[in-house]
Amino acid sequence: MATGTGTTETRRLCAITFFAKLHPGDVCGSNGLPLTPNSIAILGRSQRLKELQHEHLCQYLDVVRSKHERTIVVSEYVGCTLEEHVKRQTSTSPAQMLCIFQQVASGLDVLHGHKLVVHNLEPRHILVESRAGAVHVKLFNYGMHYMTKGGAYVPFPIGNIRYMAPERLLGANDNIKSDIWAWAMLLLEQLLQTELWPKLKLSNIAWKLLAFARNANTGGVVEKIAREHQRWDRYQQLPLPVRELLERCLSVLPAQRPLPAELLQHACFAALGDHSQANVAKSSPSPSLPLPLLLRCPLAQIYHLWQLAGGDVQAELKKEGLIRSEAPILSLPQIVRLSGASVCPPRSQSHLMDERVVLLKLQPLLQRLSRLPASVYFPLLHTQRLQPQQQQQQQQLQQQQQQQELPLLIRERDIEYQFRRVRLFTRLLLGYPHTAEQLQREAAIDIPPLLRGPIWAALLGVLPNASYAKIDKFTATSTDRQIEVDIPRCHQYDELLSSPDGHRKLKRLLKAWVTAHPQYVYWQGLDSLTAPFLYLNFNNEELAFLSLYRFIPKYLQWFFLKDNSAIIKEYLSKFSQLSAFHEPLLAQHLASINFIPELFAIPWFLTMFSHVFPLHKILHLWDKLMLGDSSYPLFIGVAILKQLKSTLLSSGFNECILLFSDLPDIVMESCVIESQKMYECTPKSITHRQHALRSQPAHVLDIGLADVELRHLQAEQCPRISAKDVHQLLMQQPEQLALIDLRSVVEYGRVHVPHSINIPFATVQLGEQRLEALQVPQLEAQLRQRIVVCVSNIHQHAVEFSHFLVACGVLRTCILHKGFNVLHSIEPNILISN
Amino acid sequence: MATTPRSGGSGSGAAQRPNGTSQNKSCQFKLVLLGESAVGKSSLVLRFVKGQFHEYQESTIGAAFLTQTICIEDTVVKFEIWDTAGQERYHSLAPMYYRGAQAAIVVYDIQNQDSFQRAKTWVKELHKQASPNIVIALAGNKADLSNIRVVEFDEAKQYAEENGLLFMETSAKTGMNVNDIFLAIAKKLPKNDNNQGSVIKPNGNEPTQTTNNCCK
Repeated sequence: MATGTGTTETRRLCAITFFAKLHPGDVCGSNGLPLTPNSIAILGRSQRLKELQHEHLCQYLDVVRSKHERTIVVSEYVGCTLEEHVKRQTSTSPAQMLCIFQQVASGLDVLHGHKLVVHNLEPRHILVESRAGAVHVKLFNYGMHYMTKGGAYVPFPIGNIRYMAPERLLGANDNIKSDIWAWAMLLLEQLLQTELWPKLKLSNIAWKLLAFARNANTGGVVEKIAREHQRWDRYQQLPLPVRELLERCLSVLPAQRPLPAELLQHACFAALGDHSQANVAKSSPSPSLPLPLLLRCPLAQIYHLWQLAGGDVQAELKKEGLIRSEAPILSLPQIVRLSGASVCPPRSQSHLMDERVVLLKLQPLLQRLSRLPASVYFPLLHTQRLQPQQQQQQQQLQQQQQQQELPLLIRERDIEYQFRRVRLFTRLLLGYPHTAEQLQREAAIDIPPLLRGPIWAALLGVLPNASYAKIDKFTATSTDRQIEVDIPRCHQYDELLSSPDGHRKLKRLLKAWVTAHPQYVYWQGLDSLTAPFLYLNFNNEELAFLSLYRFIPKYLQWFFLKDNSAIIKEYLSKFSQLSAFHEPLLAQHLASINFIPELFAIPWFLTMFSHVFPLHKILHLWDKLMLGDSSYPLFIGVAILKQLKSTLLSSGFNECILLFSDLPDIVMESCVIESQKMYECTPKSITHRQHALRSQPAHVLDIGLADVELRHLQAEQCPRISAKDVHQLLMQQPEQLALIDLRSVVEYGRVHVPHSINIPFATVQLGEQRLEALQVPQLEAQLRQRIVVCVSNIHQHAVEFSHFLVACGVLRTCILHKGFNVLHSIEPNILISN
Repeated sequence: MATTPRSGGSGSGAAQRPNGTSQNKSCQFKLVLLGESAVGKSSLVLRFVKGQFHEYQESTIGAAFLTQTICIEDTVVKFEIWDTAGQERYHSLAPMYYRGAQAAIVVYDIQNQDSFQRAKTWVKELHKQASPNIVIALAGNKADLSNIRVVEFDEAKQYAEENGLLFMETSAKTGMNVNDIFLAIAKKLPKNDNNQGSVIKPNGNEPTQTTNNCCK
């Protein structure tokens, strides 16, 4: 849209960069582990800032680490700095100035509410935007002090000394009252229309401020400053409330200064408040140029799209000369002492703090998305989206469907596709839980990475209820030691999870989970299981916790009992059965070399693969896992075996176990597709486990809760199928079913299931492991592509025969639970007689 | 059951020798690592098998398996190493791994007294439950941090001597004594030909137990 060009300037992204303090040499902490790089610590702390969204604060969007501890901060940028604003305007009335500073105070108040301080308030960090006659102010770069832990992580001081409160020079930090001082200094400077101490050296300014502190009792800081700058007369002309306010804010003792909230209550803003609001209200219905639709989207989404469109912060900084590379030889040490200390040439200028702000250009992104219709920005959920007569829409839909068939990795990088998905899911999430079903359907197609955290939570049925805040996460417990040694080993290649904030959060989550489940205990592996939820909801611990809270009973019911052996054994036996069901020859081979799941699959299932794969793979795996029921992970396990099939078949025990100790590159997408296929074509009762979480009571024809004991599972290579599932197959997909009736010819003649194959058990020789040995014409063809159910009234016969079929490599062999007689109880009758 | 590709493995070991004089014997031993969590069991194995050290070595769940072959004099010794999970809760799995093992390394962390006590209980358990001829080595790991040690060298050495254990302080980080402790074990193990091709599976390798799936 042509209108876009004029207004893009109103909402912008920018980047600033600095270096974090380098740890000297090869230093280790007391635990023997290397010290966490300061840039990682900054990255972890800064996440919290991204959550601050307020009309008077520029939103933080991203923090990026780069080589040599370089840290890049991406944030919102609006209008121009206060300095530039004043220069542009021929004159700014004191009332206008107060209006600006009221908004600054309001920003401070919000930060104070979050227990944050600014400590670098200066004209460059106050952004002013004039919109339709009203000024709109946002604080910028206000998180520097917090993200660097009061400057501890960076080699430079934070804050402009001109506006620094005296107590900060004496080393007292973290008091919002210091920001009030800075606020008042800035206001005073503007109202006196001068620049404070323009010609003084930094040290002299510091002396001046310290002199104020020494003469705390005499007061009159404002008067001294005004007189020093020959502005005393001008100051006297200011309205009394303003002077009174300034004097209070510039009290040497912090306690005498007002809090931001008190500031906002002050009389000199009272009249102003209504005025400015009215002004805005009046102007908003008739904006001069309509904002491009894209710019009405949340900034985080815009930034995400900007990246997808090829935006690269580092490249932008390079273009502006903020990142300069130098020949590495120039930084080689000249002398290295035996102690390890080295003498290096002075660091070049490029390593010094450069406070420039680089604006990121949104124009290419706007152009890229300009041809998308408005309906994509604001998709309608509850209307018929396709009108047959509208050819254009139909075309679009077709195009979308084509896109959905592209590989996932391509879809995730396709900006237009992601844009549609993000907008759609944004709406679905806003409507959750009422949109739960549609959300489930859309998530089955794919999940946009930007919104994965909340989408998973929705898929798990999480409804935040503030319960997390009430759980004790601090009282020391006997598991603390274990948790503490596990956390520094849990997915530490990830920057967020390896940051001190990441460690603290993970510890809180684990302790909270243990406290919330007195019946369970902490098993190693719970840390890995929690990590993906923390990674996705780093700023929303409650959502991470509730997701985990719902995830565990769904997939890992009873796994975290103190004695979980019965549960694990049942699970692994079921896994063996399912391997035999879908991969009979492979399962046969693995069993023959004694390669039992106990030796390799415990970490798979106990952590739902989160201990065996890196995060980026887990995310794609769990995207699909979330949509399946408690049996889905078993199919993932089978899919992994399947993917490694040829290697496994040609290997002995050692090679197999070595392969799994160091799990090779599993192609996650094909693993997911394969597991899904198997999941969908497997009748539910095949996966029956006594210890799974059940939402409904069992049907009469289902496998009963305690029907199948562990010893059965371990003795039977093939899973059992319920009469209910057989009946359903018979009615709905008879072409999917092959029923082998093992009873005698006489019994078969009396009554049987139509189209079943009679192979009387008494007459067969199972010694030779070939189907042909049974001498049933075209048996193989009759069994191919079907679920093969062995039916007998003598259970042992069915078991033995099923083992024979597995040995012959027959796919999907199972045993009818409770034998033939159970079929009599199906109503209406399905049996016939000859 | 008894036929495993292992005999093939040792055969290829013989073929590698240049002059073809296969005077050399080759043996395989099953070795298990036991000890409190985060004392460095996996790191020791990783250093021994791959010569690597990861600062943030992940925790072991269940167990991990690795192999390494070394030569002692005229014998090729192949270690089949089971690296077990340290958390006490995984204790019930341990017998599956140490049963039938010819050697064990019980690891503790020299900065952690509790881990030393835990090592002692492991030694007791091995004496009671494992094969009577098992060679046990005690490894005081993280020796690179000896300036903040809690467990004295002499104390551990005395305990080892009293209980007939090999003893070394090791550092997976620097590599100190890591190969040495495995070598010392290899030297102490009987190297008769009976070891060749013996069933060294974690379960059911002792003839008396073949019918018994011991993890059940």
